[in-house]
Amino acid sequence: MKGKGKAPQQDKDCPLQFPDLTSCDHTKECPKYTLVLSRSSEDTIGIEELDSLQADLEILLASVGKRHHLLESENQVLVNWQDKKDKKPVAGKVQPEPTPGKRGKGASAATDERPSKKFKESSGKATQPSSRAPSPAPRSKSKNPQVKDGEMVSSPAELPRVVKNECVDRFWQAMEAYSRPITDEDVKFLEEQLRKHDDEDAGYFKIPPLGRHYREVWAEEDLMEEMAEGAKVNDRKRHTNHSNHTNQTGNGTIEASSLLKKAENSMEESPFGPLTQRLVSALLEENLITPMDDVMTDLGENAEEAPAISPRMLAKQLNIGNPATLERRIQRELEEQGILETEDEVEDDPNDEILQELKRAQSELKPLLQWKVRHLKDLLKKAREQQARQQLWKKFDECDAKLHEEYRKLGLARQKKKTNLKRERESVKKVLKEWWAIYQTLDDSYNE
Amino acid sequence: MGRTKSGKHESNAGSSSGGRGSSLSPVANENSNGASNAIQAEARIKENLKELFNLVREVQDERSRSEHNLTNIARTHERMQQESRVTPYYKTKLKGLYSAAMQDADNESELLRKALDKIKEIKTIRENRRHESDRPKQIMRRGVLMTLLQQNAVTLPLWVSKPGEKPPPLCGAVPADSSYVCKAGDKVAARVKGQDGEENWILAEVVTFTPQSNKYDVDDIDAEEGKERHSISRRRVVPLPIWKANPETDPDALFPKGMLVLALYPQTTCFYRALVEEPPKGPQDDYSVLFEDTSYLDGYSPPLMVAQRYVIACKDDKKK
Repeated sequence: MKGKGKAPQQDKDCPLQFPDLTSCDHTKECPKYTLVLSRSSEDTIGIEELDSLQADLEILLASVGKRHHLLESENQVLVNWQDKKDKKPVAGKVQPEPTPGKRGKGASAATDERPSKKFKESSGKATQPSSRAPSPAPRSKSKNPQVKDGEMVSSPAELPRVVKNECVDRFWQAMEAYSRPITDEDVKFLEEQLRKHDDEDAGYFKIPPLGRHYREVWAEEDLMEEMAEGAKVNDRKRHTNHSNHTNQTGNGTIEASSLLKKAENSMEESPFGPLTQRLVSALLEENLITPMDDVMTDLGENAEEAPAISPRMLAKQLNIGNPATLERRIQRELEEQGILETEDEVEDDPNDEILQELKRAQSELKPLLQWKVRHLKDLLKKAREQQARQQLWKKFDECDAKLHEEYRKLGLARQKKKTNLKRERESVKKVLKEWWAIYQTLDDSYNE
Repeated sequence: MGRTKSGKHESNAGSSSGGRGSSLSPVANENSNGASNAIQAEARIKENLKELFNLVREVQDERSRSEHNLTNIARTHERMQQESRVTPYYKTKLKGLYSAAMQDADNESELLRKALDKIKEIKTIRENRRHESDRPKQIMRRGVLMTLLQQNAVTLPLWVSKPGEKPPPLCGAVPADSSYVCKAGDKVAARVKGQDGEENWILAEVVTFTPQSNKYDVDDIDAEEGKERHSISRRRVVPLPIWKANPETDPDALFPKGMLVLALYPQTTCFYRALVEEPPKGPQDDYSVLFEDTSYLDGYSPPLMVAQRYVIACKDDKKK
């Protein structure tokens, strides 16, 4: 749109979205609420109005919540943008780092038993310690290479059983890709994706400057083709004639472009931009006529001399620097003076179909990118949580092993018909308490 | 006795005119023990109502105070959009304004939550009073039952998570903990065998739970003869959500389009398999679902609206 004054231009690099943060108009959307407010301070609310009041309050709460979220996200964007401008290496978003970082590749045994345990839990049974009892059985069954080898060596005659194990193992191997522990590499990968998005995806939205018109490019290409053809014919002729002409194909491209340029720019080239030329011509008084009346015959030759100096030489003589910057300066000055209207950039030309198409594709791309970023962030958060949890699981497994050990000792003590089992019982209780504490933390971490 | 009667008369008149069947007048007379309880409850309710009123006024005060900040932000946005570049001055100014506005939003939401909690408190007091005196189960007419169910769905409290918070279990589509036990009075979907031998998922209310046998005693909400109490295993009971999810702040707590769910068929008290056609857009909107129906050409009914309260995840593997 060509506005009269300065139309609002947005900074193209600005990642802020400037959301609409006005709060909801309670007079329009919350009638009961407004009604209650209109009462005097001595009055009170009737029981029958509770339901409608609740609905109104919920609407208000929802709008406040949304506003809070928007503010939070915009604030994050702002903080990150500043950080980036300060050239501080920011890893994705400002998030607390829960990963202890010590974790290497998790033990395969742990991963196998975890899927089987999760499988048990999700089948809907009450997850009390009673469900732990069946888990050692599938654990030993699905423990990968070591156990399987052992079994194969020890019982080569039991072919059916080994075959059955194979299927299970193959299944778990397939599941490995999905249920293996989250490593630092995974987290790094996600962060890398986010970083790539920040760096590269903005590039999709830049509208490249208008290149050379296709007519010129095609003309050049056609000319080159013809020259190539000509050269080929020449080559063949030369080949058959065994003559020693200089090879011309190398200079083909340079000749073509210079030919075209010569064809187009038949007029004298001036390094000065059009505005500069107009300005100078406006300031120049056309009074060449008066002196020339007197000395027309004598200075007939001289009159031609004056414009004989090419503008390029003139620029060098006058010591004017880069004509392009001069042009721009003049343009800006004129705009500020209000003499020249700010020309709209080529971008707003509705007839430019390619531009429209480009813009349409960009608008399609934008929500997709937003979706991608949202999910990446979500994944990253979950990956970090899971890493923390994996630490907990390791501790839990150790505690579990200890517990088994203690119970075994207790069993042994009972077998030996020891009368005072107090010490064993105490140690079992201690480990059990520890076990429960870790279990509770694990459970909570899943339910957060 | 006279005092309680008059006290209840006031609340009854109010509720029957405004609530449209949200609370039914207890028919039974209260014994003297109940009378003193009722007086206490009445007094507490009055007190709470007064507090609620004050809270509402506080909310409005907070809102008008935060308006100032929001208009500032809007003005700054306008100015920033006119510049061709965002200067550091604007950035810091915006940051300051944003943090002030976040604080305001926090305060406002705190007050709103307090007010909503207060409303919940009043309602529970009223519910308890009703349950104490309501021993013989009311035989309600169909229409009354349906409006009651509607009312229930609309007044389900809304969950609005603060930034960084996740919706809790039993909010919208978020499943319950594996160790969750329904309390007496909770509404659930129960798979029971009817008199004709057919299995149906019905809307029911929990009476008791026996941990030793892992069984629930549930009451069919449609209290006709022969449909009353069932004793079923825990696996056949699915609790209904106790919070509504807000699509604007927690869209993940809603069932997405195309998901298979169990939804209450409108004007009935049974759950049937359905596909989600469209999740709710606003906090008070319903799901639009397509019920599996062999009497239609493509096997599905036209889209019907079902409230968030009556849509649960489908774990049924065989077709009904």
